[in-house]
Amino acid sequence: MKNKLTPYLLVSPYIIHFILFVAFPVTFSIVLTFHKWNIISPMEYTGLTNYIRLFSDATFWKSLGNTLVFLVIHIPLQIIVALLIAEILNQNLKFRGFFRAAFFLPVVVSGVVVTILWQQLYGFDVGLLNRLLVKIGLSKIGWLTDPDIAMPSIAIMATWKNVGLYVILFLVGLQTVPSHFYEAADLEGATRWQKFFKITIPMINPTIFMVVILSTIGGFSLFIEPYVMTGGGPLNSTISAVLYIYKQGFFYYHMGYASTLGIFFAGIILLVVVIQKKFVERD
Amino acid sequence: MKKLYSKNISFVILVLAMTFLFGCQDSDNGKENEFIYWSSNNSNEIDYARQIVKKWNDSHADYFVKHQPVPEGQSSEEVILASVVGGTTPDIYSNMWEGDVEAYAQAGVLIPLDTLAGFMEFLYARCDSSAIEEVRSQNGHIYQIPWKINPIMLIYNKNHLAAINLDSPPRTYSEFMEAGKRFKKDLDGDGYIDQWFGYSEVLVTWWQRFFDFYPLYLAASGGAPLIKDNKANFNNKYAVEVFRFLRELYRNNYFPRERLSARQDPFLSGVIAIRFTGPWEIAHAEQYKPEGFEYDFTSMPVPDSSDSIPYTYCDPKNTVIFNTCKNPQAAWEFLKYSMTEENDLLFLEVTNQLPRRSDLLENVNFDSYFERNPMMRTFAKQAKHVRGTDQTPVLKEVFDLISQEYEACVIYDRKSPEQAIEDAAKAVNLLFLD
Repeated sequence: MKNKLTPYLLVSPYIIHFILFVAFPVTFSIVLTFHKWNIISPMEYTGLTNYIRLFSDATFWKSLGNTLVFLVIHIPLQIIVALLIAEILNQNLKFRGFFRAAFFLPVVVSGVVVTILWQQLYGFDVGLLNRLLVKIGLSKIGWLTDPDIAMPSIAIMATWKNVGLYVILFLVGLQTVPSHFYEAADLEGATRWQKFFKITIPMINPTIFMVVILSTIGGFSLFIEPYVMTGGGPLNSTISAVLYIYKQGFFYYHMGYASTLGIFFAGIILLVVVIQKKFVERD
Repeated sequence: MKKLYSKNISFVILVLAMTFLFGCQDSDNGKENEFIYWSSNNSNEIDYARQIVKKWNDSHADYFVKHQPVPEGQSSEEVILASVVGGTTPDIYSNMWEGDVEAYAQAGVLIPLDTLAGFMEFLYARCDSSAIEEVRSQNGHIYQIPWKINPIMLIYNKNHLAAINLDSPPRTYSEFMEAGKRFKKDLDGDGYIDQWFGYSEVLVTWWQRFFDFYPLYLAASGGAPLIKDNKANFNNKYAVEVFRFLRELYRNNYFPRERLSARQDPFLSGVIAIRFTGPWEIAHAEQYKPEGFEYDFTSMPVPDSSDSIPYTYCDPKNTVIFNTCKNPQAAWEFLKYSMTEENDLLFLEVTNQLPRRSDLLENVNFDSYFERNPMMRTFAKQAKHVRGTDQTPVLKEVFDLISQEYEACVIYDRKSPEQAIEDAAKAVNLLFLD
């Protein structure tokens, strides 16, 4: 009897943790989507009102659009830059270990610190980037104050912050490509570009897909950067879906509506990941 | 094996027991003759609260007050909310933002103070009728004691104004524009302005509007409410004029669109000549101002047609008693004690913030303080013409909607002031239909 109970007792911390911190909050969030609740007053049943509001909430759709813009810029940029750096670091360079560590450094630096640092770089009047532009005779750019440029600026910063992680993944991928493929290609007189596109890319395809999936999920959770740098502005051009959900929940305490947005957004992420998974499996 | 098994069981039981023991701890604040009092956690206010509590405890053996600064959090508002949700509120809290009270009142977590013996008499003796009406809840009760204010005014750099031949700070919008025109400069000759007349945070965050749009609106309108009878009341010529005035400041580069908050203080470093701020700026300026730096305060600018004394927003923080308090009448006696003339003077001396009482300038007990702190006298004069917030549970949403339109019209010039105000009013009215 005692022995039968032991496994249950051993897994019970996880089960308790799962119930308290996963199952209960998710179930409670779903229940909340049918209610109006500001935390301090009793919940009020509102049926599908929150869902109806969601479909007519222009700011939410704008936040989804912004997140999409971020992903469209961030993912290709991340893959190209990471692959390029990984390819260089895969060569027999001097101080290779140092460079690998250097590129990885931003990954382990706090997101808020990186964001504040880039805020200084992006400053319109005193920012380093604009000072350089003026020095070479170009006009200043409203990196964070121009509604058309603010989100691409955030995407560039996020790429700088995260690229080190993907460099490591690509390095691992590159090192799995057998060297005799390249030797054979050399014998056939293949150029460097031909080797890259005909051997390297197909051989590291699984890594590329993994990077795409990780970047997509990471990109969907865009929050710290716009929260610290722009507060979602200018003109809501950098408000991401997560930031909007956070604002609804923790600025205005519209818990029911924030839960509705959260559940809907989680559904979108799930859909995108399933499509990507199918795509990977087909490949 | 058996020993190990029994150890495992003991460990799991201990963990579960601790979880339940601490997780389900009773939030009861204890005895009827003992109160927990939370003050703000700013060091001066902690100092004041400690002194007042000690004085009370030394002279009142029947009721013991236990002081504690509001626990650390991202903001005291969040901490209070968490304590309300967790049922761990103190008996008394003395730093409640006036705009938060209505939501708590409607949730039934506050004591209606007007039901306590002697409360209304005290209030009428302390405050003027407009302050009392300002804190009256939608249901007619009063849940907060107007306690302290920090009016928003215009701080100006005397040397900078003298440099553009101004003997006194600009009072009207036209004077303001003229001063802005004379003051803005491209110091390094790169073709871009880098010395502006003033600065206000361009963030769209709702509470930023307490430092630009709202005090200017109150100044222009003679203190008109934003919300009246659960409808937008700000769709009027005053709000339009304020939006137009601010838009012109940004359009003409008298104010920068860039955030300057991450760099050296732009006012003390001379990059700007004015800004809208409260009395807390005095302590900051005195500590960090460069040698020879001279400054003063004046009222918010008003439209050219205005000739009355401008109103402003006063950032009111009030005192409340939570319904977890076992003996509200006795708690009220402590609060009454903390707001006697003598103790209000102590508050003024220790914190350099104004108690919200109507006799600040007439009461001789305060004279010596204002003689020693002439800039605070300017704020005390302004205190006769201040407003707090409207009593509505959706105040943050109202300010957020105004802020969205502010950004579109004032900062980015994408809408006319008329259109922006009309759109904000429409959106606010929709809030009340929910």
